[in-house]
Amino acid sequence: MKKFGLRLITLFSLCCASVHPATAQWFEPEYLKEQVAAGELPPVQQRIPQEPSVATLMDGQEPGKYGGTMRMLMGRSKDIRMIMVYGYARLVGYNPELELVADILKDFEVEEGRQFTLHLRKGHKWSDGEPFTSEAFRYLWEDILNNEELYPFGLPGALLVDGKPPEVEFIDKQTVRYTWEQPNPFFLPALAAPSPLFLYSPGHYLKQFHVRYSDPAVLAAKVEEAGTRNWAGLHHRRNHPYKEDNPDLPTLQPWMNTTYPPSERFVFKRNPFYHRVDQNGLQLPYADEVTMQITSSSLVAAKASAGESDLQGRYLRLDNYTFLKGGETRGNYQVRLWQSGAGSKYALYPNLNSNDPVWKALVRQRDFRRAISIGIDRQEINQVIYLGLALGTSNTVLDSCPLYRSEYQNAWSQYDPDHANQLLDQLGLDQRDSRGIRLMENGKPLEIILHTAGEGTEETDVLELIGESWRKLGIMLFTKPSQREVFRERVFSGDAMMALFNGIDNGLPTAEMSPEEFVPTNQTQLQWPKWGQYFETNHKTGEEPDIEEAQRLLELYFQWSKSNSREDRESIWHEILKIYSEEVFSIGLICGVPQPVVVNNQLRNVPEKGIYSWSPTSFFGVYRPDTFWFD
Amino acid sequence: MNKEHYVSEAPFDPQSIERMTAGQEQYYMASRRRLIWWKLKRHKLAVWCGAILFMMYGTTLISEWIAPYYYQTRHTGHIYSPPQQLHLFHEGEFMGPFVYGNDTRLNMETLGREYVPNLEKVEKLRFFCSGDSYKFWGIVSSDFHFICPAEGSTMFLLGTDRLGRDLFSRITYGARISLLIGLGGITVSLFLGLLLGGLAGYYGGWVDSVIQRLTEIIRSFPELPLWMALSAILPVTWSPLLIFFGITVILALLDWTGLARSVRSKLLALREEDYCTAARLMGARPGRIIKRHLLPGFASHIIASATLSIPGMILGETALSFLGLGLRPPITSWGVLLNEAQNINVVALYPWLILPVVPVVIIILAFNFFGDGLRDAADPYK
Repeated sequence: MKKFGLRLITLFSLCCASVHPATAQWFEPEYLKEQVAAGELPPVQQRIPQEPSVATLMDGQEPGKYGGTMRMLMGRSKDIRMIMVYGYARLVGYNPELELVADILKDFEVEEGRQFTLHLRKGHKWSDGEPFTSEAFRYLWEDILNNEELYPFGLPGALLVDGKPPEVEFIDKQTVRYTWEQPNPFFLPALAAPSPLFLYSPGHYLKQFHVRYSDPAVLAAKVEEAGTRNWAGLHHRRNHPYKEDNPDLPTLQPWMNTTYPPSERFVFKRNPFYHRVDQNGLQLPYADEVTMQITSSSLVAAKASAGESDLQGRYLRLDNYTFLKGGETRGNYQVRLWQSGAGSKYALYPNLNSNDPVWKALVRQRDFRRAISIGIDRQEINQVIYLGLALGTSNTVLDSCPLYRSEYQNAWSQYDPDHANQLLDQLGLDQRDSRGIRLMENGKPLEIILHTAGEGTEETDVLELIGESWRKLGIMLFTKPSQREVFRERVFSGDAMMALFNGIDNGLPTAEMSPEEFVPTNQTQLQWPKWGQYFETNHKTGEEPDIEEAQRLLELYFQWSKSNSREDRESIWHEILKIYSEEVFSIGLICGVPQPVVVNNQLRNVPEKGIYSWSPTSFFGVYRPDTFWFD
Repeated sequence: MNKEHYVSEAPFDPQSIERMTAGQEQYYMASRRRLIWWKLKRHKLAVWCGAILFMMYGTTLISEWIAPYYYQTRHTGHIYSPPQQLHLFHEGEFMGPFVYGNDTRLNMETLGREYVPNLEKVEKLRFFCSGDSYKFWGIVSSDFHFICPAEGSTMFLLGTDRLGRDLFSRITYGARISLLIGLGGITVSLFLGLLLGGLAGYYGGWVDSVIQRLTEIIRSFPELPLWMALSAILPVTWSPLLIFFGITVILALLDWTGLARSVRSKLLALREEDYCTAARLMGARPGRIIKRHLLPGFASHIIASATLSIPGMILGETALSFLGLGLRPPITSWGVLLNEAQNINVVALYPWLILPVVPVVIIILAFNFFGDGLRDAADPYK
């Protein structure tokens, strides 16, 4: 146990070496000068924490200057939460090498993997100028998480170890300590996630909505006005730190929302109290504003090519590349190809929790899943749709991942229709109807209705190719595209037989990252939504996993969470990956599809090559867009 | 009486006052159908449009022969190939119809596929040849085509789509679905319109009231959302053919109202005519009166207005499929083809994929002009 803790300590002490910058002089951004002159804001010296975080620039990045508006395009107004993902100010976050480093925290200490002491920065302030101290942690812990009315279902999973909450101490204004009885390996990664675990909350703003701190009559009037059921509803509505839809909610992010939804255009202004600075004494972020224009997602490529976005990866796809490349001079941008970090671009998820008993029995046979997997000609999909630039693989970790082994990627992902037919025959599916379609046990033809949240022709094309190769196995494939919410609902309820969706998000995990994506721990795992729900809700709803291999995965997951040596974790990871790929719980199709990223020619410090993925890189997040600047 | 009654000595000639020329006589004695034809013939545009329609419907009978490829054949090496031009002369020398073979390469800079015609490769087309195999009208297996590319070569007269399928073949096959949906739909809606309009017009009273209210309710729905709702009901497991019929019926179910109304108003007017009363007094049954005495009175009008509503059906199918609610791949119609063409890449890089618009425009215009001419001709006695 000690070993683990010690190693982590060395990790972060490396990165936070230069806390005190040489320059004592700070430069006021032009953007805020007027407000400072008018006395609305204190001068920059007083806004920056006494111990600010000095940005470490990557190779090829250089310190910049203030100014400019970073324009982005989004497909839905919900997408404004991307400012939270791109902004990426976290208590503890990943750096581009995917190591965990302190960010909002000055530093942190880990003892035996179970005691976490967090040190805040002196003089750090919320975006409204109020001090950010351990009080923010106390408010969240005592008044939100442990409030029966606000959190009737208990603490978030990452705060529980064996179902037990931590002991939390607020040692002084700058120190908070979380202690569990057992190691909690989920804690730090959860703080660094794109949708992070929040440990702090702006109590000074939220108290007016909290029954404990406000006059009942005044609060009742507010509840009435907002039209919520009770004060808890109102408190929840005002407190969406991740969704960023309440401009009044103070934040610690580099940019803060100033537009009340609904709107077509959201403006995020620089946070005058941001805690990061560059080596020359400029307060980050360099860009004064970020704007998000909401448009139809199918128009994003067209608008980007007209130069309407300064930094765009979302809603762009490989097949837009040729088109975007053609517009480079006209639109004054450069389009780069980043590596995708997903384990598989798309994967098929046979629903092991289907409501149809015959289908459920069939799909739970590993040979059936293997047969339909090797019945897919991935090479053809690669050639036809991805110009041969991708790789046909199963849904597992990528080759640049330290846990990679070729047998995981190649397990049951090589096209072999003869073997597939043989496997299907052995399963008792040897009867066929007049069309040559195999008959299931109940005499019905083997017709798979595949649900997809199809947002473009790419999914349907992939499915058309799969349908064709499955037809040769005597399996009929029908595609049912629907809206994402409807799609999820159908899969969760067990109505859907199979689904097509993105493969695993994090294709580059290290042994220190949680293997949860490979284990039934989440309802959004479309091959076993009910098992995931069972886990998520602490066995209150959903179904208990009832096949041996899934139980084994869960067992391994618990072992991983309790283990304290890297070797153990690695060997557990390997066993999980082996089971997952041998059992073909999800059928991966293609990995390594490059992601086009449009970058304005004037925008500096955006890396040429990067990993574009939700987790662990939070899309642009770990490359720190607060250090991107306009020349 | 002094005055004598005058009687002309000349033999009685009934046509002495207004004698008709041979032409006039022919006109007067001509049947109604013939009159319509004569009148229609004078409307040159309508005749031309009629010919175009006839030809287009003719091709749907033999789509398999006309298309050089089967519509689902994919050419993995020829994705997004631009149209290959048809040539007759190679270096001043007459060669017969041929295309130049394409050199293909992947431009790693733009990740686009580039096709350059290679002037060395003269690929002479073959005629009355065997190519992709298919089932003629889904029944007889064959591989006969009117026109095929040279052995081992390609001929994409209108280019290929993102899976390397020949667009010309797809438009040819798509015509069958798109055009037949118009005819099929109009048949159903004609039947419904005549039946319900006839009942309403002939019986009047409460039957009329009920049918009229029903018509009004149906007409008061906005068309597109109703189509969408109905087509969403069609189950996914239905075969493409069943979906096709389903869409036809949906289009027809919403279209009969206009026809029913005009049938009713015509009937209301005609049933008061003397010959109708006479027939009724002689004991003829309602069915016979409607069929023998009333229908012929406005048949031509019905035909003309039916012709005019076919393009509406074709557009309806196209619109539904364009929105992704109508026919689904693998079945192909013009609407499906256009649906696949609706993205920015196509407009900017592969403009030939918008070509299915052309036959849609032609067929709609042709139907409108032809229907116009037919309506003018429908009442030749005016």
